[in-house]
Amino acid sequence: MAATLSEVRTLLEVRQLGKRFAQRQGRDKGHEPSPWVIQDLSFSVRAGEFLTIVGPSGAGKSTLLNIIAQIDTASAGEIVFDGTPVSSRDPRALKPGIDRRIGYVTQDDNLLPWRSTLDNVLFALEVQGRLNDETRAHAETLIRAVGLAGFERYYPHELSGGMRKRTSLIRTLVYDPPVILMDEPFAAVDAQTRTQLQADLLTLWELGRKTIIFVTHDITEAIALGDRALVLSKQPTRIAAEHMIPIPRPRNVKDIFALEGFADVYEKIRADVQ
Amino acid sequence: MTDATLETAAEASTVSRKAVIYGGRLLLAAAIILAWEYEARTLGPLFFAPPLDVLERIVTLALSGRMLTDIAATMRVSAAGFAIAAFCGVLLPFLLRRSLRATEAIEPYIMASMGIPKYALAPWLILWFGIGDLPKLIVVTLVVFYILYITTFAGIRGVDQRLINMARVIGASERVIAREIIWTSLLPFFFTGLKIALPRAVSATIVGEFLVSTEGVGRSIESARQISDTTGVFAGVVIAIALVLTINGIVNLVERWALRWRPVERDMQI
Repeated sequence: MAATLSEVRTLLEVRQLGKRFAQRQGRDKGHEPSPWVIQDLSFSVRAGEFLTIVGPSGAGKSTLLNIIAQIDTASAGEIVFDGTPVSSRDPRALKPGIDRRIGYVTQDDNLLPWRSTLDNVLFALEVQGRLNDETRAHAETLIRAVGLAGFERYYPHELSGGMRKRTSLIRTLVYDPPVILMDEPFAAVDAQTRTQLQADLLTLWELGRKTIIFVTHDITEAIALGDRALVLSKQPTRIAAEHMIPIPRPRNVKDIFALEGFADVYEKIRADVQ
Repeated sequence: MTDATLETAAEASTVSRKAVIYGGRLLLAAAIILAWEYEARTLGPLFFAPPLDVLERIVTLALSGRMLTDIAATMRVSAAGFAIAAFCGVLLPFLLRRSLRATEAIEPYIMASMGIPKYALAPWLILWFGIGDLPKLIVVTLVVFYILYITTFAGIRGVDQRLINMARVIGASERVIAREIIWTSLLPFFFTGLKIALPRAVSATIVGEFLVSTEGVGRSIESARQISDTTGVFAGVVIAIALVLTINGIVNLVERWALRWRPVERDMQI
């Protein structure tokens, strides 16, 4: 598995990335520079790879994804997407989503409360001017695939947490960005729903084989989903370790503990998570 | 209990709740009219016009067509002034949103101009613009503008930045973000502003009509006052109240439709 993957081209590269936030006025009177949240962080992702990133709370995981998604600036280093440097120090020069080539499923579902399930899913297609019979049918297929059929006309506040997660997931899948970032998308739901959502995600991924960067604090989740898992250090955040996940696909997420190789890689990752 | 009986029970409780509310309203109305009648009898019709006389006057005004022309005149100025103020009061925050520096530079001047006593400006405005609708229009516009400007700005500042980021990543243009996310997010603020501003627009017009006018609800109150016709004053006040209540009712209906996506715990309306 690892051998075949290395032959595939690198799609996204993070080089010596660093981030420190601007000082707040009135604080830090001594003019000491604010501390580095992320420092000298480098990794790369291959096309079609499912990369998971494990890190403790407050390890700057969301900040890292925000920088990759171009919502936030980097303070040092660069991000190279498909051979082109894309990061910037100037917030006005940022191109969020890099022309729809990077999708971002955030920790909060960020659904538009005034749009129904279907209209939230269609929002991306609408703003991209790509709403037609074909894309609409695709959206409806995805809605059915994640078990939201019958809830198309419901507003987000009328849905359960798991349903909102599914909606926000397929809102990104529907416009087919080649890279998808996921920031602990299943952290806020109960364990059973989470397992179901993980299984749904893997099913959808097997169909399209997108490049996914999936951030989580849950080691089991990182193993169940990923081809490869990176472990982040405490602040200033850098890559502490890298582990290939030797479990063959398709994987049964519900019985992931019982699969051969799970216990071994779990122990290794846990030893690296500080 | 089955679902059906639960539902019937819920319906029954809604019905009884409504009965209590409307019953309470009727009782209050009766109490107010009784107190009104009592005051009229003890203080005399010069100081307190009896309710029945006022009602009779309103009917006379309505039948003669005076009431309709007065209301039309008042509404003409209120609506035009309100429309201009609403356009500027909503547009300006949307423009200033793009530049924090411009906002900070302009804000003190807007706040300072808010301190101008608008009604006191009226005689000076008449000097400039004569005795037509224009001076009244300017007063109404000034009264309403600040309310909508401040509520709209508060709404814009309260927009969830995460929704804007999400839309940007998806590829939404700034125009789509302004229209879909910022405008819809601030609708609750906008309707709050509307509910404060619309009655004020009507009041401002009526006060303007006291000073200079040939028709309008304010004119009818003022001309009644000049000949000590208390019944006429009261009739004008009742018509003004009815006008404001009607406008508020319409705003409530529009709000309920525009914000139908919001979770509503109970039927709370102001």
